Amino acid sequence: MAETNIAGEGPGPWAMEARGLGKRYRRGWALRDCSFRLPAGRICGLVGPNGAGKSTLLGTASRQLAPSEGELRVFGVPVDDPAVMPRFAYLGQDKPLFKRFTVAETLRMGGELNPGWDAGAAERIVRSGDVPMHAAVGTLSGGQRTRVAFALAFGKRPDLLLLDEPMSDLDPLARNEMSTLLMAEAVERGTTVVMSSHLLSELEDMCDYLLVLAGGRIRMAGDADALVPAHALVTGVTRDGGLPAALTRHTVIEKRVQGRQFQAMVRRDGPLSGDWQVSEPSLEEVLLAHLRSPDAPALFTPGAQPETEGARTT
Amino acid sequence: MSTTLTGKPTARSARPGLLRGLTWLVLRQHRAALGCLLALTVLCSLWIVYQRGQLTELLDAQGWPEKTVPQPVVGAGYRNLTALLGLLPGVLAVFLGAPLISADHEQGTAQLVTTQSVTRRRWLVAKLGWCFLITLVACSVLSAVFTWWWRPHRSVLPDIWMDPSVFDNTGPVLPALALFLTAAGVTIGVLLRRVLASMVVTLVFCVAAQTVWGMVRDRLATPRTITYPLDADVPARLHDAYEVDRWVASADGQLYGWGSCAEATEQASRACVEEKGIVDNVFQYLDPSQMAAMQWTGAGVLLAGTVALTAFTLWWASRRPL
Repeated sequence: MAETNIAGEGPGPWAMEARGLGKRYRRGWALRDCSFRLPAGRICGLVGPNGAGKSTLLGTASRQLAPSEGELRVFGVPVDDPAVMPRFAYLGQDKPLFKRFTVAETLRMGGELNPGWDAGAAERIVRSGDVPMHAAVGTLSGGQRTRVAFALAFGKRPDLLLLDEPMSDLDPLARNEMSTLLMAEAVERGTTVVMSSHLLSELEDMCDYLLVLAGGRIRMAGDADALVPAHALVTGVTRDGGLPAALTRHTVIEKRVQGRQFQAMVRRDGPLSGDWQVSEPSLEEVLLAHLRSPDAPALFTPGAQPETEGARTT
Repeated sequence: MSTTLTGKPTARSARPGLLRGLTWLVLRQHRAALGCLLALTVLCSLWIVYQRGQLTELLDAQGWPEKTVPQPVVGAGYRNLTALLGLLPGVLAVFLGAPLISADHEQGTAQLVTTQSVTRRRWLVAKLGWCFLITLVACSVLSAVFTWWWRPHRSVLPDIWMDPSVFDNTGPVLPALALFLTAAGVTIGVLLRRVLASMVVTLVFCVAAQTVWGMVRDRLATPRTITYPLDADVPARLHDAYEVDRWVASADGQLYGWGSCAEATEQASRACVEEKGIVDNVFQYLDPSQMAAMQWTGAGVLLAGTVALTAFTLWWASRRPL
């Protein structure tokens, strides 16, 4: 089945641009044939089941992994060029810091290793969380350590912030505090953010762009606002235990038949009409349907796919 | 410090000083190791100076070198010191080399540093450069101080020049051995990525390498051969020589093993000697004048190994994810 492209807005400056990106480990491909574009200034959610390739994609973008094939550009600079390093900041799941360094020394490290270091911003983030400057990092609480890691990331003044579930180990209060901080800083600077998360509700609140990965491939990429209306939740009465023929003209992502009732998540290919009920799904419903059906054809909103790639079949 | 920071938040990046960037980071991260090694170097050097002073005093009182002195002239202090110097390369390899990169892997700080604006290769070069530099400085100083003690007093000190306690602890051998073993420790750490495992493997490697080194040591120069009559005294020049092998020989140069004519009775021995026509002792040895050349040859081999290991480490770590 061909991918669906929705006509609309044109290209802009791209924070991330991948063409045929792939990464193979000894046990197989973790990421395969990934092509997408992420416009600058967006908050992008990276969604997918465990092992879908989210960490591999973020690791490739942060130069910790070298891609096996294809290329990835960050603001037009190939990611294997060291010139890309000041442009991004990375925060991983375990947020490693030197445990024996004091908070002040950790921030000094940021200053020593980054050309565009913004000491004022980093210190402001640390101070607003009442983190003592002279405490050793090893003695801080999880939330305080995450705050220091965030300060280090924002002090770098990145254009692209890569977050690999950095808040997964925080309590709800600290999590909320960090999310607020993240959004405030990102909006103030126009930082592009790519964050992977398992919390779909969190993504719905924060993200205006989505990258859905499954099995190492891109399943959906594009504006959250355009991806959701492209889908419809159809409920009706089944006659022969299957979907009505009129519905199979559209791309069916997921269907469920219960007794005489059917429910299907479809991607509209033209007007939906028939003796069934159509409702607009929530983002969470669309994402869950795609996560449950990794074989559904990929969907790209306009500009989310590099132009030269042309029409691909999956 | 916090008040100055509040007052001038930008003063931090404008702070003058020699320690910038990665140099500052590496020194800050390893300041405990640096302090320990510096303290060890200074204390050991002072200990050597003190012992040398004592020895000089003793020898002056006895009227050496005009008169002979009763042995031993040095006690447990000398033995402990040579043992300590002999252990130093292994200690540096296990406690400095092995955790150098593997600790950063294990704690994730390798990821932290290399996602700032420095490349993995620059970071590795800074770490390795620091590690090799302090190893070189500490071991060169200790070797120089120990050589300064041993060389003028070599005839009265208990060890001969080919003993590991002298050959490996003087001249260029001590720093070269330390650099080689430390580079091996770093390489093992990069390959294993676990602190404890790499320290254990490095320890095993050090024991093996020291054993091999012990077998290689007397092959670092071509031995000289001297022939002297069977019943003559050992020539004076052999007093300080290191014996490689010895034979007995007949007049036409036919060599027989040293024990060829060791018979139960002197009569039988004489009969054997006469039957085989043995007239000469043949002595193969390494002369003390060859020591410097042997030490530099050995140091060259070890440094070549260090360079190879370091090149491998940089290549491996640059192509592998951290």
